[in-house]
Amino acid sequence: MPEVRIVARNFMDMVASLPAMKLDQLYQNAFICQAIVRSLPPLAKKYVIQMLYVEEVVPGKLIEEWVLPDGSTKYRVAIDRLVQLRIFSETFDRTSGTSYRLNPTFRVNLQKHITIGGVLPREPMSATITVRLPSLEDLEVYAHEQWECFLLQLINSAQSERMTNISPAMMRIFQRGLLTQREKDAPRLTESGFQFLLMDTNAQLWYIIREYILNSEELDIDSADLIAFLLELSFHATGEAYNMNTLDEIQRITIKDLADLGLVKLQQGRKDSWFIPTKLATNLSVSLTDSSARKEGFIVVETNFRMYAYSTSKLHCEILRLFSRIEYQLPNLIVGAITKESLYSAFENGITAEQIVSFLQQNAHPRVAERIPSVPENVTDQIRLWEADLNRVEMTPAHFYDEFPSRDVFEAACDFARECGGLLWEDSKKMRLAVKTEVHMQMREHLRGQR
Amino acid sequence: MPSSSSSSAPTPAAPSKMYADDVSVVVVLLDANPFFWSSAASPLPFSSFLSHVLPFLNSVLLMNQMNQLVVIATGRNYCDYIYDSSAPTNRKTGNGKMTALSCDLVAKLEEFVVKDEKLGKGESNGAVMSSLLSGSLSMALCFIQRIFRSGTFHPHPRILCLHGSPDGPEQYVAIMNAIFSAQRSMVPIDSCYIGALNSAFLQQASYITGGVYLKPQLMDGLLQYLTTVFATDLHSRAFLQLPKSVGVDFRASCFCHKKTIDMGYICSVCISIFCKHHKKCLTCGSVFGQAQSDAASETNKRKTIRT
Repeated sequence: MPEVRIVARNFMDMVASLPAMKLDQLYQNAFICQAIVRSLPPLAKKYVIQMLYVEEVVPGKLIEEWVLPDGSTKYRVAIDRLVQLRIFSETFDRTSGTSYRLNPTFRVNLQKHITIGGVLPREPMSATITVRLPSLEDLEVYAHEQWECFLLQLINSAQSERMTNISPAMMRIFQRGLLTQREKDAPRLTESGFQFLLMDTNAQLWYIIREYILNSEELDIDSADLIAFLLELSFHATGEAYNMNTLDEIQRITIKDLADLGLVKLQQGRKDSWFIPTKLATNLSVSLTDSSARKEGFIVVETNFRMYAYSTSKLHCEILRLFSRIEYQLPNLIVGAITKESLYSAFENGITAEQIVSFLQQNAHPRVAERIPSVPENVTDQIRLWEADLNRVEMTPAHFYDEFPSRDVFEAACDFARECGGLLWEDSKKMRLAVKTEVHMQMREHLRGQR
Repeated sequence: MPSSSSSSAPTPAAPSKMYADDVSVVVVLLDANPFFWSSAASPLPFSSFLSHVLPFLNSVLLMNQMNQLVVIATGRNYCDYIYDSSAPTNRKTGNGKMTALSCDLVAKLEEFVVKDEKLGKGESNGAVMSSLLSGSLSMALCFIQRIFRSGTFHPHPRILCLHGSPDGPEQYVAIMNAIFSAQRSMVPIDSCYIGALNSAFLQQASYITGGVYLKPQLMDGLLQYLTTVFATDLHSRAFLQLPKSVGVDFRASCFCHKKTIDMGYICSVCISIFCKHHKKCLTCGSVFGQAQSDAASETNKRKTIRT
């Protein structure tokens, strides 16, 4: 996966930054405890499971001894995370050093979870009600379509046929940071916007959800409640229908938004309305970690810079259009060429050669993915060379001085600029010089002193 | 054919880089041999054993949503799958008293025990207490092969034997074959043995495949043993302190009478092991030379099989 700089590592950082009171409140819910455990680094998970039935405080030294000596950095990372999330509480004692104890609410809830098991606050629709529910495949197709439609709209493409019901205000919030928003120009993808499109669905989903939660805070909805609801939703069964009247007012508004994103499908029954979680919703707690299910690739790049993408997706076409010239489109095939012009416009948008190459490699069609390299070397080299071409000229903000009264003043000024490390260029014949902007103020002081 | 020399170094399962690091697929072999659990050799009743094992299984599933758990019951006469966390028929939530896993598993286990008893009707006595470990090991390996062949990206599986019954020497060949097959496909076999004496089979299985063998000392803390040692994924094992094997019993069983032996005769053609001298190999039919005196053949053929 391309390095995702725009997402603050992951969603858990956001949870960890919640105030202590809210965290403790979150841990009242067994499902949230479970989701939190799953998001921890492997070693931290082990510590939690191992300490589950240990009531006493455990000295940090002892915990450290459970790992081999070369794993001590991993130990630190795990402990820091646990303390940050208030799962471990730290106590310091002069004789035994730092000791740790598992958060009691957290402990009780997890113990309950592995012995008695959790019960969702709502039951799925009983089998006695004869309503045709969508099959799992239909549901997946629906979720996929909905999500793609949302993404197309997000990048402001004219290609999206139908609009989702997401309000333009909400959409603008999602677009914040992904698109440049200037009054006159048409919005363009920023560098992070391109990165966003290259992420896998789960990572994209969490980015959007994170924005959604941040936004809800502005609308005076308790973010802890919202997080709790989202995490809970991820433990519902895919394809089962749940009654809408089990939700409160805020949750009902939330679920409508989630339906637009394809997380749930709403279904109107004769009396009640139901919501059916899709795979996107149940994967929410998976994507808390960085684990990503690999998708099958679809792109074949030839040595003559032609590119064949076996995809029916409009979104794929839009992504490819960002850095290549699309020549024609067949029902299941997009044919394009990587040209100097198409790449230059991509570089202008802040997309790097490395990103493009890694995108092509990660989405290589299974037939070519087996080969090494999956993208021909001459193509990757050329992409990098074209990028390097653009970097031949280096820009440095500078100030230019001329019309010195005498050669002495000019030479003193040159020496001074050299001392400051800011001299960029000098022409002793015509007594002109250029200095970096940083030293301009000092230079002015110096020249004033000379007078 | 099992090779009687097990001198090859333990091969730790190489973590593959294709999937998320800490996903585990665990095939648990649960000993459900009524003769063992009702005997004096069992340190705790089956019900309390289950009450330790079920929370452990739940905590394995708790740790990662992608974790997969398969439980195979090992009976006296047959083995069967009693739980598969990926099966679509599973209940999604528990009934408020037990987790979904426990409900499913206990129900299936009851069916299993009844069927196992029916199959055992014909047999005369319960003198032999060993359960069908070779059968359940083979089933586990078949299941794992299915995972291997399902696609390119799969987490690395492991086997965990929760065993109590004593070894059945008559299963020696089958079990050794299973162990070597596990070694070849780099599947570690962990074993938690709760019987009275150490199990030579499981010791060897864990040693050869690079798994962990543990014989818990205090039965009250069985859950703690299980979660501490066996809940961790293969990737994390690389940097954890885990119990080391102290001594492994490498003794083999002879092919002719299925007795565990220290010294024996080995066919130089097919490496079958016999406890006494035969004119002809019982496995491959090679005729052993009789030209030399008995004393000479003694020196030729009699080798120690301890490695």
